[in-house]
Amino acid sequence: MLRKAAAFLSVYYAHMTVYRGEILFWLLSGLAPFFFMAIWVEAARHGLTDREPLAFARYFLFIFVARQLQVVWVTWTLSEEIKNGLFAFKLLQPLDPFWHYLAQHLAERGVRLPMILVLLAVFLWLYPGALVFSGWGPLFLGLLASLLGFLLNFFVAYALGLLALWLEEATDLYEAWYVFFMLFSGYLAPLDLYPAPVREALFWTPFPHLAYLPASLFAGAQVERAGLAFLALILWTLLFYLVSHWLWKRGLKRFSAMGA
Amino acid sequence: MSVVVADRLTKVYRVAEKAPGFAGTLRHFFARRYKEIVAVKDVSFELEEGEIVGFLGPNGAGKTTTLKMLTGLLYPTAGRAEVLGFRPQDRKPAFLKQITLVMGNKAQLLWDLPVLDTLRINAAIYEIPEAEYRERVRRFAELLELEDVLTQPVRKLSLGQRMKAELMAALLHHPRVLFLDEPTLGLDVNAQSAVRDFVRTYARENGATVLLTSHYMADIEALAERVIVIHEGRLLFDGGLKALLARFAPYKEVRLELSTPADPGTLAGFGEVVEARGPVARLLVEKTRLTEAVARILAELPVRDLAVEEPPLEDAIGRVFREGRVA
Repeated sequence: MLRKAAAFLSVYYAHMTVYRGEILFWLLSGLAPFFFMAIWVEAARHGLTDREPLAFARYFLFIFVARQLQVVWVTWTLSEEIKNGLFAFKLLQPLDPFWHYLAQHLAERGVRLPMILVLLAVFLWLYPGALVFSGWGPLFLGLLASLLGFLLNFFVAYALGLLALWLEEATDLYEAWYVFFMLFSGYLAPLDLYPAPVREALFWTPFPHLAYLPASLFAGAQVERAGLAFLALILWTLLFYLVSHWLWKRGLKRFSAMGA
Repeated sequence: MSVVVADRLTKVYRVAEKAPGFAGTLRHFFARRYKEIVAVKDVSFELEEGEIVGFLGPNGAGKTTTLKMLTGLLYPTAGRAEVLGFRPQDRKPAFLKQITLVMGNKAQLLWDLPVLDTLRINAAIYEIPEAEYRERVRRFAELLELEDVLTQPVRKLSLGQRMKAELMAALLHHPRVLFLDEPTLGLDVNAQSAVRDFVRTYARENGATVLLTSHYMADIEALAERVIVIHEGRLLFDGGLKALLARFAPYKEVRLELSTPADPGTLAGFGEVVEARGPVARLLVEKTRLTEAVARILAELPVRDLAVEEPPLEDAIGRVFREGRVA
């Protein structure tokens, strides 16, 4: 098992370094939180909220980090490989293809991480004081929430990608998920600024826990009902794991019946 | 015991039909119609351990569908497939570790990385011990003359080198049963020959069973003593190459070199004209009238040289398919 993991991660890391340019551009395309940050910092400077400008800078910086740690593209890969027939080769191997896709994502994170660190350094230079160390506890919990968020995103994207076994095009479905993420995760504005009933309604959806939870933990902010938020994240991850597992079984039956 | 069993294998696809244009699109959306396409119908054969069998048929005959059923990628609609005692569609790891499928038109190598990286992944997947892996890579690279290119990105390799590398990746785990679907597709003569030699050597050294489809009859002639022919999803022939020719090509080819060219009309009086180029001509003559035809040719034409040979296998098979002579 360890040998498999080592071979997969090292080879796919090499594979991802080939695409370092694309990964950099992809990372730069995810700079939207910094634009929202500029807006909210300006609003704070004009006294439109009761928060300090630096608090917004800190929050959106960590929204960016949390998002970067959770980027997935498995819907696209699965959809392509199902259409062009490469999926069949993976089915001929005595190993669940899931591990190929997961290893590719983990290896990509190894290439993306140094780029994130460079961007953080630039940010620190522009906004001294925004990057704080809130202690090992919040950092660990922030990383844990990001990891769970990555897994949830991965299982959602995997389940949607498997729909390519039924549909002609599955990639657009993940875009729909991303729109909900943008609106309800705290990506556009800190969720504590949303009206209380909206916050309450969103709490048991997966979205707030993908961005707001890890970003707030990283920033050392007070997170209400953090335990329950983790529980919701775990339950959603589990649910989408089961959904993807079910779709895998059903999809393979269909693939084996219909071909591709 | 047979290594591969196809017992009345049948595969029927249900395909949606769509008329062109806007109306067709609307109808397709609201009242979709389906039609059933029989890709393979009641195909039965068995392969013994160590056999190399050619699997022939024109495009759309059902060859690839049959291979996909035997490798477990497709469920049969009816009938039974069994490979090495396993039901292929169960895709048990113990089964998958003993088979391979090579498709000449699909690549499993990682495009941007050296061949060795794909091999490393495969070695890990198939749990090949490190020393064994190195030895197999060395041996395969030597046989395929790939030693110098294993560290080059796949995209930089020639088509022939890529196909050889595909074979390396597909056979690294030493499968007992090889399903090869057009492995020499698009390759030049030298690369085709290298691939054929490699498959033959591998099969001999490992006692592997091979089911090979190819449009290049040279592949079949070089590798297979037995051929299975399917046409429109049905088994047409299963037997030796010579028996195939005797049954479907009851002709001999008469090659002529004349001192002065003869017009095709005159040549047609002796047999079917396959080629007439200046003083050189090739005729197909039925075996039963061969003696009489040769005697007439020698008497009536200014013959400088005459040879009687078996017709090329592709001509014989091509005629079978063109004439639709399904048994």
